[in-house]
Parts: sequence; C-alpha cells; structure tokens
Amino acid sequence: MKEEYKVKLIQKEDLGPTCSVLTFICPEIAQTAQPGQFVNLSCAYFLKRPFGIMCVDKESNTFSVGVRKVGKGTGKILEAKEGDEFTVLGPLGNGFQFDGIKKLLLVGGGTGIFPIYCAAEYAKKNGIPCHIVNGYRSRNDAFLYEKFSSVCENFDVTTDAGDLGMKGNVMAYLETIDDSELAGATVMVVGPGIMMRKVSEWALAKGLTCYVSLEQRMACGIGACLVCVCKIKVEKEGKEFVHKRCCKDGPVFRAEEVIW
Amino acid sequence: MSIAVKIGEVALKTPIILASGTCGFGRELAEYMDLSKLGALSSKGLTLLPRDGNQGIRVAETPSGMLNCVGLQNPGVDAFLETELDYMVQSGAGVVVNVAGHSNEDYIAMVEKLDPYKEKIDALELNFSCPNVKEGCMVIGSSPKAIEALVSDLRKRTTLPLWVKLTPNVTSISETSKGAEAGGADAIVAINTLLGMAIDIRTRRPLLHNNSGGLSGPCVKPVALRMVHDIYSAVKIPVIGCGGISTYEDVLEFMIAGSSAVELGTITLVHPGRPVEIVDELNKYCEENHIDELSSLTGTLEMWR
Repeated sequence: MKEEYKVKLIQKEDLGPTCSVLTFICPEIAQTAQPGQFVNLSCAYFLKRPFGIMCVDKESNTFSVGVRKVGKGTGKILEAKEGDEFTVLGPLGNGFQFDGIKKLLLVGGGTGIFPIYCAAEYAKKNGIPCHIVNGYRSRNDAFLYEKFSSVCENFDVTTDAGDLGMKGNVMAYLETIDDSELAGATVMVVGPGIMMRKVSEWALAKGLTCYVSLEQRMACGIGACLVCVCKIKVEKEGKEFVHKRCCKDGPVFRAEEVIW
Repeated sequence: MSIAVKIGEVALKTPIILASGTCGFGRELAEYMDLSKLGALSSKGLTLLPRDGNQGIRVAETPSGMLNCVGLQNPGVDAFLETELDYMVQSGAGVVVNVAGHSNEDYIAMVEKLDPYKEKIDALELNFSCPNVKEGCMVIGSSPKAIEALVSDLRKRTTLPLWVKLTPNVTSISETSKGAEAGGADAIVAINTLLGMAIDIRTRRPLLHNNSGGLSGPCVKPVALRMVHDIYSAVKIPVIGCGGISTYEDVLEFMIAGSSAVELGTITLVHPGRPVEIVDELNKYCEENHIDELSSLTGTLEMWR
C-alpha cells in the first residue's frame, strides 16, 4: 500500500534568492523513483505542490527537488529550514522511457532543468551517450551549471542575455547541431510550454523520437480528481483528442501525441 | 460496538462514503487504502454519453479549499457498465452510482440502463447539483417542483434506492429537499460544491477557464453543516452529509446535525489515506466513549432556545 510520507528536510542549497534545491530523507522515494517522476510536497496552504525529482541517493535514502518561487506556495516552501518536516506523496506519474535508447539529447529550461538533471545522471550511470542543451536567461540564473558539467562532457548552454554560452534560446543552438550527430538520438525536453512545443516540432521534423514532460495545475497528483488534464491526440471517429491526466498518465508523453 | 449504519434499506459497514468526483471509480485510491473498510464509493458523475469535460485551467486553490471546474469528464454510462462497475463491486465497498443528466430524458435513459444491474449497485445518486455544466444538473436541482417531477418519474422506473444530491446554491435547501422527498427519494445527499470564482489580477480574467467553479474543502464545512441540519429538520428521509469533512470529529458533527452517513471528498485529494484513518478513529471513539451504535448519534443535536 502506498502512503503519504512524513519527511525531514535535511539540506537546503540556495541557488539564488528565489530558487533552492531541497533534499529530504525518504527511503521509499529514494529507492524507487525514476527520472521524469515527481513528488507532491506539502506547503503551508491547502494543496500540495508538484516538483520533478532532481536526483536520488539510494545509499543515504534521500531525494532532491528544485524549487523556484512562482507563487505563495512555493514561496512558503522556500522559507523552510533544515530540520523542518513536510508530508509528501511519491514518486508519482510516469517517468521517461529509456529502453532501447542509444543516445540522448536532453533539453532543459526553467525549472525543467531539475528533472533533466535526473535524466542526465541516469544516462551517465547507464553509459548512454548524452548531449545536454540548457536554456537560461543569463549567467546569474544558470543553475546547476557545475553539476551538469560534471555529469555530462557534452553540456551546452544558451542564454537570452548572451553572457554565457550561445546567445539566444535553445532552438538557436539545436539548429546548429549536425544531422549526423542527431541520427538515432532520442530527445527529452522539459521546460516552459512554448519551449517544449518548439523543440518537439523541430525534433519530429528531424524524424527523432521526442518526449516532453507536461506541467499543469494539479490537486491530488494521483489521478483521482481530473483537474490537471492535457489534450492528447486520438484516432477515433469524430474525435481529435482525449483529456489525459498529467499526473497519472503523464507527466511524460511522446511529443507527437500532444496537442499544444 | 458498531459503526455500521443504514440509509433506509441500504446497510453500510461504516458511515464513510467517498464523494463522487473525488475518487474516480476507486482504482487510484485503492493504492492508498483498503477500500473494503469504507461504507461505499460514489462513482464519478456519469452522463449518458462520454464527456471530455471543460478545457483549460480547472483548479484554483482557496484558503482551506479549492475551486474546480472539471465539468463531468467521464467515460459515459455504457463504458462504466462495461469496464468500471465490476471493479467497484470487487473493491468490497458499497457501490453508489452517481448520474448526471443534461435533461430529464438523460436521467431516465441512464436509470433504465443501470436498473438491470441492481444486484451490483447499492444506490443511485441523482446529481442535481453539478455547477460546472451548462444544462441539466443544477438547473433541475434549483427547483423543488422540477426535482419532485423528475424523481417521481425515475421512481417508477427502478427499485434501486434513489439518493438525491442537492446543490447549496439555492435560497432554501429545505424546499429542494422536500421536493426530493415528495418525489419519492430514499435519501438526500448534501451538499455539492458552492459556486465561486477566482480572478487573475494580471490578466483581469477569471483564473478558471469555465469562469466559475465549485468550492469545496474545509472552508465549506460550516455551510454544509447548517444545511444538513436544515434538511434533517425539514424531511423524514435520511440525510447523507457532505462538505469539507476532514477528521473523525467532523464526521461526528455531521451525524449529530442529522446525517446518517457522510461523504468525504476534497480531503482525500490532499491526504489519500485519510478516509480509512477516520474509520479507525470512529471505532476508537465509540470504544472509548462506550457508544454501542454510532448511528445513535444521528440527529441528537440540542439547539439553544
């Protein structure tokens, strides 16, 4: 039987004034979580908040999530101190599928870099060749730059400000990648909706398999309430889409299924 | 010592029912609790044909609760009978089927489709109260006469117990509950969600893409409790209380106010194992307080003069 776990915040690493990596002890999550899955974490308000898992440590039984302030709930979570207790549900949802993958192109932006980091660690552990392209606003919010560099030799960055890596967004970089490098690669992209859409369109046009991790306002996180649905294509007579649950059927979907 | 209850002819092993729309058909919550410890599950609100529900943002958090505008996304009554009913039966909880129509004809057609399965179903819950669809439901449920007429028509078409789930978005829920009783309802379920709104001050648009939504959670509990007491005072049929119940003490309050059983909804979305914890706590409460039958609490409220 799954449970709602009481977990202790054991480490809070501030990446910037409104963004931190929070690490909790929870054996059940640390031992079973897969890249692309998420947890639903309590805050001072009524509903829990969903966060993509950034990494787990099976030896110390910990898991980490990246939290950026987007509203009151995330603001309250960021006020927490080491030692504070939370309740958490997880790991939730379907993560990325790695079966049969020969090489990976990981693309991250916004808070999407956190689950992308989880996929990058998995690729390293399993010897899957991997190229990572993260898009940031500027050098100042190039979160996890050192960690990404240490987990992947082939790590590239774009910034809107142009003060780190290539100036522009991730699309500017992707357009420069040689087709020979792309051949046989699987793309995984997590970030703002518009970014995932553009990367999906690019990847599909290149004939690449592409996965996206969708984000929606959630309540239960376990598939019961149906508030977090997204539009997924279907081929049924007289129907163009079905509403699937982001939390339970996703959050990871194949790019070609998604109606943006 | 027993926490079993009876809603008219329907015997439930505990007074805890999972409210429609917060538990699907039980599959997801079965991962978090033993459903057979519950009194019953009330299915996702079914419509005659499958519904995709509303598009866009469907949820907004509020102080101590939430607004939703799911809009009755469901597979339709035929798919329910084919793939979900047997799952609910084998869960070991009582089976309540929630039906929501766009018209009187929809309700009639659905009740006629469900009646042949009466061996598997404990009660039909007539949803006259969904605030998130444009036709039927809450429109019918706002008029005592329309409720009476439809319930009495449905009464002739099935021997299944008919529970009428009422909306709080009316001037007098006593009057709408009398309409249900006059039509031959076996029980009243109250309350469904309260109509509400949330606004995004940056865009000056409603946060919910349906513009309004149904408010639920602990914030509605005092309203629900008062309405349950009003209904209990107005009709002779049993009342099933619903609205913001989160603890075993809440269950006791609703029973004292006149509920024979209760439905838990929004709290399950935050703490999916809570309903079974509450069952255990009710047992403990009865033991510690030497209460032989929990049902003896129903309607024991003494008002101040």
